[in-house]
Amino acid sequence: MSGTLEEMTLLILVLVVVAILAVMLVGTYNRLVALRQNANSAFADIDVQLKQRQDLVPNLVESVKGYAAHERGVFDEVTTARAAATSANGVEAKVAAENALTGALGRLMAVAEAYPDLKANQNFMQLQAELTDIENKLAAARRFFNNAVGEFNASVQRFPAVLFAAAMGFTARDFFDLGADRAAASVAPQVKF
Amino acid sequence: MQAVGLQTYIWNNNIRSAVLLAGFPLLLVGMVFVLTLGMIWGGLLPSTGTPAGDIAFALRLLAGAAPAAIAVAAIWFAIAYVFNQSIVDMATGSRPVERTDQPELYNLLENLCISRGIKTPTIRIIESDGMNAFASGLHEGRFSITVTRGLLQSLDNNELEAVLAHELTHVINRDVRTMVIAAIFAGIITLMCQIIYRSVFFTGGGRGRGRGVWVFWVIAMAAAAIGSLLAVVIRMAISRSREFVADAGSVELTKNPDAMISALQKVSGHAHLDAPQSMRAMFLEEDDDGIFGLFATHPPVEKRIAALQQYGGGRIVEPAVAAPSFNQPGPVAAGLPGPWGADSETASPSAKPEQRSGPWG
Repeated sequence: MSGTLEEMTLLILVLVVVAILAVMLVGTYNRLVALRQNANSAFADIDVQLKQRQDLVPNLVESVKGYAAHERGVFDEVTTARAAATSANGVEAKVAAENALTGALGRLMAVAEAYPDLKANQNFMQLQAELTDIENKLAAARRFFNNAVGEFNASVQRFPAVLFAAAMGFTARDFFDLGADRAAASVAPQVKF
Repeated sequence: MQAVGLQTYIWNNNIRSAVLLAGFPLLLVGMVFVLTLGMIWGGLLPSTGTPAGDIAFALRLLAGAAPAAIAVAAIWFAIAYVFNQSIVDMATGSRPVERTDQPELYNLLENLCISRGIKTPTIRIIESDGMNAFASGLHEGRFSITVTRGLLQSLDNNELEAVLAHELTHVINRDVRTMVIAAIFAGIITLMCQIIYRSVFFTGGGRGRGRGVWVFWVIAMAAAAIGSLLAVVIRMAISRSREFVADAGSVELTKNPDAMISALQKVSGHAHLDAPQSMRAMFLEEDDDGIFGLFATHPPVEKRIAALQQYGGGRIVEPAVAAPSFNQPGPVAAGLPGPWGADSETASPSAKPEQRSGPWG
């Protein structure tokens, strides 16, 4: 009889351990799902701002064209960059396209600097303010996204998640890279006189 | 699990609050248990002769007493639930403002609400120079966020948005309800202790009522002292963890940790607002009495800023050239409504908050 009692105890012990492991597994899995969703919605927030910036570009170009119609090169560049940004898919392609657009817009604004009449134009001033506002929000959204991605990545690499995360499709994600941003910003704006 | 970012940080603090809140019923039941045991050993209740038998007897009595304690808590909660808003209004002198009065303030708040798909709470304003804000209301449709005139005048739009998001997080997380529950439990425990102290005082410690009664009184006094202390400590610890979550939630909503940091820096040291202490837990910041640590409703500002930097990716930005706030300095209303005007020194309910037995504990 004592043998069966020991067996019973062992069985209960094993069941308890299995139950604890199951709870841990489910808990960790759910945490990872929530964190991934967190990063996804943070990226969607960036997307909203990017979309708004894309919508602003044609008006901005038109507005500058009215005063500096001969600056063809920069208009083409902005228009091309916008088209590329609108059609880009996936984080990496989007980052590259949007950074190109940021650079092109920077040059457009630099061109505008050379035309005092344009700078005094009410419509242009409003568009410029809107662009600045969007850029600020974009910077904030990007920081939040990177924070969320950092948290997701760290959680994926921690124990015990690291044991099964990859098998369940949780892999470290890319940041919205500031490096590319810096490179784009460091290209000197072409100011033509 | 250790926090590695904003979301895990919020989870950890939520777990902490839940554990702390669960401590209240445990504390209450524990006190009743110790008191029963004291009665047995003091000869007020029949002893079984063995310590183990006494404990078993006390546990059986406890099974009867615990539901009664919970029932008292429930009734108390119902009263607080109904009168919460009017008590808050009376005690702080806040009044609701219409959208037409403060369109931009409402816009800021509404944008935040839309992103979370919740109904915009009513905004209330206190005509006070102190810089503070708090959330109130216990259920959907009754939530409101109160800000002081001083806050509107001193913060720029980003900082104001961060503060509104902080309070909105209190609303989303139903922190007001949590704090009311905490206040009620603490109130019941305090009330129990009051009864014990008074009984000791009036009966002279049970002199002449048989030997051993003093044993009960010593145990009761010790239980009361430790219990009331723990009740306050737990309540304040819950409050502090909710503040950390609200700061983090603000960053989540606005995506702007810097604004939250600079708002805290501005508010720090100027948050004075007359109100019963039990209400202060919901404030944006409380720095009146300078008690930090175990008895503070709010963590020190430096700790909150450090958390925003570590988990929210915030940076301390040098104060920019005073960005104009959209709120022009408005005339501070004379004659404030309610018996406890925000500028009155009296604020009677705050005099001895621990000894009040109202629904706010």
